[in-house]
Amino acid sequence: MDHPRELAGTEPRVWDRPVVSVPMLVCLSLVGGQLPSFSASANLYTLGTGGALIWLGLGARVPRRPAPRRLGTGAVWWLLPVAVFGVFEGTTFVLHAGDDFPTFSRLADPLLEDELVRSAAWFAWLAAFWGLVRR
Amino acid sequence: MMRALAIGGFVIALALFAAVEWAARRPGSRIPSLADVCAYVMRYEVGPVPVGRIGLFGFWWWLGWHFLAR
Repeated sequence: MDHPRELAGTEPRVWDRPVVSVPMLVCLSLVGGQLPSFSASANLYTLGTGGALIWLGLGARVPRRPAPRRLGTGAVWWLLPVAVFGVFEGTTFVLHAGDDFPTFSRLADPLLEDELVRSAAWFAWLAAFWGLVRR
Repeated sequence: MMRALAIGGFVIALALFAAVEWAARRPGSRIPSLADVCAYVMRYEVGPVPVGRIGLFGFWWWLGWHFLAR
């Protein structure tokens, strides 16, 4: 399998510039924000946009920023928020107490029913995904 | 009471994510940013297979599907 390597320093393509990519992500997010949960269209749209980004990310079509060769000892600080989140998500999930002791996704569901919040969540998800593709 | 505890716990976790990211972006910080941690994880390969990249993409894809389609 031939792997694309980091292409840092190369001239970005037109569609890879923020002036193009950000409006594109905004448009995709606005469409995604209109699609209700549990609908076939929302499922297909999520699978389609995510699949396209994975296809871009696994190929050599998008220039990548250089990745660090090693992480410093300071990286262990990231375990703190991960552990706190994991403890609460794990406990709420295992106890299965519904709204009395809700999981993170159960708390997020009512917020995501609003189209504007849903579009903002779509944008955050797609922008982070695009960031991963370029790393 | 338990509901407030859960909300408080998640808020603290999110605040910690923001605080560590803020600390990582300070000049001369020894803490790598979340993007650097992800990039490092994505370097991991088993033979010719980019396992780290596939794993992180898969996780993020599932997360979006879970929150935005389910």
